[in-house]
Amino acid sequence: MKNWKLGTAACALALSAAMTVSAEAQVLMAHDKDFWRDGMDVMAEAGNFEHTGYVTEQYRAFLQSSMSANNPPDIFTWWTGNALADIVASGQVADVGELWDERIAAGEFSEGTRDLFSVDGVTYGIPMLLARWVVFYNMEMFEEHGLSEPTTWDELEQAAETLHAAGITPFHATVQDGWRGFIWFSEIMIRQNVEAYHGLHDGSVPYDGPEVQAVFDQWLEWYEAGYFSDPRSNEEVEEFARGEAAMYLMGEWATGTLLENGMTIGEDLGVFIMPNANPSQAPGVIVEGAPILISQEAWENPEARRVYEFWASTDGANVWAEAQSLYTGNLSATAPNAIIQEISSDIEAGGHTAITRWWEAVPSDLQGDIVAELSSFMLDPTPETAAEAMANMQAFNADYWADQ
Amino acid sequence: MTSPHNMPDADLQQLDFSRYAEQERRERRRSMWTALGFMSPAIILVSFFLLYPVAYNVYISFTRWRRFTGFDEWGGLSQYQRLLGNPNFSEAMANTIIWVGVSLVLPVAIGLFIAVMLRGQKMEETAKSIFFLPRVLAPTAAGVMWFYVYAPDGVLNSILSFFTAEPVTIGWLYNESTVTPSIIVAYLWQTVGLAMVLLLLGLAAVPKDPLEAASVEGATRWQIFRHVTLPLLLPTILVVVILSVLAGFTVFDHIWVMARDFPGKRTLSLTVYMYVEAFDRSSWAYASAIAVVLGVIVLSVTWLQVILQDRIDRMTK
Amino acid sequence: MAVDLTTLDYGVIARDEARRNRENRGVFVLMMVLSIVWLAPFYYLIVSVLKSPAEYVASHPLALPSGIMPLFANVTDAWVEARMGFGVLNSLLYGVVGAGVAVFIAIMAAHGLARYRFSGRTFWFMLIFAGTIFPFQMYLIPLFFTYLELGLLDTRIGMILFYTAICIPFPVLVMRNYLTQMSSEMDEAARMDGCSEFRLFFSIILPNCKGPFIALFLLQFTWIWNDLIFSTVLTQRVEVRSVMSTLQVFQGAYADVSQTVVMAASLLASLPTILLFFVLRRHFMQGLQVSSG
Repeated sequence: MKNWKLGTAACALALSAAMTVSAEAQVLMAHDKDFWRDGMDVMAEAGNFEHTGYVTEQYRAFLQSSMSANNPPDIFTWWTGNALADIVASGQVADVGELWDERIAAGEFSEGTRDLFSVDGVTYGIPMLLARWVVFYNMEMFEEHGLSEPTTWDELEQAAETLHAAGITPFHATVQDGWRGFIWFSEIMIRQNVEAYHGLHDGSVPYDGPEVQAVFDQWLEWYEAGYFSDPRSNEEVEEFARGEAAMYLMGEWATGTLLENGMTIGEDLGVFIMPNANPSQAPGVIVEGAPILISQEAWENPEARRVYEFWASTDGANVWAEAQSLYTGNLSATAPNAIIQEISSDIEAGGHTAITRWWEAVPSDLQGDIVAELSSFMLDPTPETAAEAMANMQAFNADYWADQ
Repeated sequence: MTSPHNMPDADLQQLDFSRYAEQERRERRRSMWTALGFMSPAIILVSFFLLYPVAYNVYISFTRWRRFTGFDEWGGLSQYQRLLGNPNFSEAMANTIIWVGVSLVLPVAIGLFIAVMLRGQKMEETAKSIFFLPRVLAPTAAGVMWFYVYAPDGVLNSILSFFTAEPVTIGWLYNESTVTPSIIVAYLWQTVGLAMVLLLLGLAAVPKDPLEAASVEGATRWQIFRHVTLPLLLPTILVVVILSVLAGFTVFDHIWVMARDFPGKRTLSLTVYMYVEAFDRSSWAYASAIAVVLGVIVLSVTWLQVILQDRIDRMTK
Repeated sequence: MAVDLTTLDYGVIARDEARRNRENRGVFVLMMVLSIVWLAPFYYLIVSVLKSPAEYVASHPLALPSGIMPLFANVTDAWVEARMGFGVLNSLLYGVVGAGVAVFIAIMAAHGLARYRFSGRTFWFMLIFAGTIFPFQMYLIPLFFTYLELGLLDTRIGMILFYTAICIPFPVLVMRNYLTQMSSEMDEAARMDGCSEFRLFFSIILPNCKGPFIALFLLQFTWIWNDLIFSTVLTQRVEVRSVMSTLQVFQGAYADVSQTVVMAASLLASLPTILLFFVLRRHFMQGLQVSSG
């Protein structure tokens, strides 16, 4: 009998532990950026709100379903491009245009940034992150081999050749976590033919046509020349930081992790925007925007609105930059780090146009299937795999557009 | 049992049988309510959390899902039609069939081999624990560990390079041709122990006399096994095979954890495919149809088991 | 029996004996080799958690560690950085409450099924038992949406309710057989004495079920502890996630942590089942017998 009582007591104890859930009502921000947990904690403290981080794939399901139950979180992160158009169609996301009018008038944001967060001329989000996709490079390696930041495609290839001849892997790229397959594909494509890149996303350019073939030709050529690292790594960022390759194409948000892993800006860590392969093309840069949205209901709630505006404010941007070294596109805020400052001035000088990242631009139904094909190619870079990947990608693509 | 206490001393001809029948019925009804009282928590929980979802899942598979609005449109068989035309589904199905084929043969074959070898040996107890030990690791934890064993710079390759005397960097979990076999090896490592223990229990129940008789007559180990042990062990083997086949249909944890960087992860089994379609791509209705297909298969196997079990029971009696 | 010793062929017997010995030695060697192969991954797991991240990168993956001190750093990192602490405590809660309540409810149901005579017993039994025959994939989407609507998604109480429900049917099957075989003399006597059905269950039936209760509890606890898929689908916040889900998320999303820490986290996640196995091996095997029958 004694055991029974013990068991019952244990159950009761456990149950009461389960019931004690924090009760204080603060504005809740839902996000899938738990890898920035520390920075989010700082922001939540400064802006007096609560936040909950989810795993990306669950997060999407969570938001889609909570919207279908008419119960979205107050404030939440999402994606730009197609995904934004999708979620806006639910009619539960607030139009935040007046906030932008205010901020642009105050000179804090540019119209160009606003476009990234708009669907059909209506703005629905503010940036949690505005990241340009750039090439990080190991300055020590470049200096040692007498190289400077390439300004043309030929210089880029020469730099790769020089490094490769010296036994250094020029380009670092992996399939870690399953989503990275599109990075080099889309970068090569915008450098060769930005028009065709845009065409991919409305179904007018096929994935098995000459435009994509040209991308694979270039990609394959570099693989065959041995320019790329082993794609099967689980420590992509760390490996670049450890000097296992010379150049690393990634969003600016990787800066923080690179610094944490022991790199120093200006000593061994430099950055440049990849030059165009087609010199007649206007300069451009891939921009990834991570929007924060607010539900219609929360938009009417002054407390939720205060938290939302905090994110868009210069103060908020400064706290965020300090805490997580991330840039929101706020022009009056201090640049989070020298990398971002350099890119911002490069873009200003070069007049680069912003190009939506492939991940956001592609219809979300196609993301997974196409990235899987691109990753397969990286794992086995041969003409046969390239042909197979192109055929498969086009099969998914054609299937999708036939349905629209 | 339900004896009427105040039976009137009456002529049997005049006995009112219907009264006793009525009493019996009342008694039974009362037991039923008492019994239902005891069963009600189980019935409520099981109905709400297990049976209702199954029915709801079948319903969803006949609808269309509108993003951000819900399952508001009847879709008929359209989700099932989509299944048939999708190459990912056929690939996932093919891989599931591989899993089932392997589960049909290998756990029982390896388990039986070890069990028969161990039987009566001095080290039986110790060895039993050793082969069962992987089972105490959680599938997820084992998957994480094997993920590193198979890594390009992992243990397996470093052992191989010891033999080949040059660096080996096979990406076991990255190639289409090696990913499923690699996961299967890790899976067998974990599951063979259970098959072995169950078979050893079965072996312990095999009567000694025929074995000894055969042995005295000079039969070889193999002959004894083939003609005496195996037929007696058949019911146990059937249980083990069915258990492992059902498990083979529904393997998820090992694949999910170990193939996390494999680009074609979604096609590695029906379970993974269903998960990705539902929770990664939000194709809820389509994913429900995959779940229904899986359910139909599993139920058929269970049904087959009942029939086989019945036949074997009759055979052995 | 009179055997003419002179006619016995000692040579044949000796040869036979020798063959058997040879065979036994062969079997022994083979089993030794197999055992080593089987244990090798454990060896790898153990030497890995004993190395510091730097040591792990520098040495051969199978090399012996230089000390055992890094173990503590690895475990602390896993507990704090990977937030395995939450997972372990949550799973402990889900496992103890879920399995305990489920087996208790199952014994009640089995009592109703086995010890009362009424029509429709098979129906009710099949209804409960139907909870075990469908693949888990059929529960996921409806549960996800139902939980969302009811506000149970991402809550501890939601997890406990589900784990309790799914752990009921199998113990009902086992306990029904057990209680059918138990003699009913005692309850008849108790009823004669005017004992209520409720008291009968608690003071006569339940105390007699202690053995199977423990075996079934351990079995179901282990199942809940090891579950990955339901926790992945039904929980989102790290504060609510089960240990397996935490481990999987940790391995995936925070890959910039050393492998030694991930290995320590896997070991941590398996610790209760390993302990249970060694401490309660007898009960475990009993549980196994139960599950195979």
